Amino acid sequence: MQNNLSFHQSSVSLEIVGLPDYSNDENNDQISIISQWKLTIIDKPLIEGKFEHLLPIMNAFYIYSNLLIKNDIPLYESKLIDIKAENLHIHTIVLKSSKTNVKPLILKIGNSLLSDIINCFDQLNESPKVRIKKTDLHNIPKKFRFGLNNKVKFFNFIMPPFIAICSLILLSYSLIYFYNPNQNNEKKELINPE
Amino acid sequence: MTIWKLRNNNPLRKSYITNNITLSEFDALIRITVEMSKYLYPYIREIMKSKENVEENSVVWNDFNKRFIELIKERFNIDSIRVKKLLNQAENDEIIVKSLLILSFCISNQGYQKLKNFLYDF
Repeated sequence: MQNNLSFHQSSVSLEIVGLPDYSNDENNDQISIISQWKLTIIDKPLIEGKFEHLLPIMNAFYIYSNLLIKNDIPLYESKLIDIKAENLHIHTIVLKSSKTNVKPLILKIGNSLLSDIINCFDQLNESPKVRIKKTDLHNIPKKFRFGLNNKVKFFNFIMPPFIAICSLILLSYSLIYFYNPNQNNEKKELINPE
Repeated sequence: MTIWKLRNNNPLRKSYITNNITLSEFDALIRITVEMSKYLYPYIREIMKSKENVEENSVVWNDFNKRFIELIKERFNIDSIRVKKLLNQAENDEIIVKSLLILSFCISNQGYQKLKNFLYDF
């Protein structure tokens, strides 16, 4: 009997099917030997494959998401999957089958679905119930090193990320503008009419 | 109060004061941002989604952009070239999209580490 685990984020869900590694005395609900996985995106064709396809696809999404933030022209190409940006908001994914007679599957997704997919992969990576060889999540070259003894170096090092974090906080403040606590209270009242 | 004071370390703000921010204060700001991103993810997602379909009128995006600019004008030094870039609607789309993407990629349990990596590489 195979174990089945699902990870959900908004419009995307990732299903992992597999078995525990009994030779390592693992629990019955653990998955260490992945036999199949399915990535379901609402209104898009189902993406599924074997274990050997999962890690390259996860890596592709992680590397692409990093390129997207750092580069003006993000592009990821491999034997299995290509991802490129159509514009600031839309990305084209080309999934290539290993079988010669199967045409590549082309999907267009927006930033919202891309972040849902990344968050599903994050949940899988962080799940204690699935043991897979962890992907190199960030793949970010460490350009900077701490020089705590040198105040000038430290100041130059800390200021760009500090400005960035302040901009993100400001951005988050403007997001609160969209949050309506009354709406949430109404929902709670509907659930608990007392 | 401490967070309010820390905000004034941002040289883009009108009320900029040169204080040395410590590494632990910087870490605390990252943790607060990650927690806020988790809480606000449905709204972040909705804003990004509203700009994806060209045929539909992106009302949510326009509202957000308007509020973002209002906040910048209210709190930031608008004579600074970097702030002018944020206010320029022809240029600020990319900055906003990238900022929203960074926030949306950092809502997992490892979000703190991810955001830290993104920021160090900015």
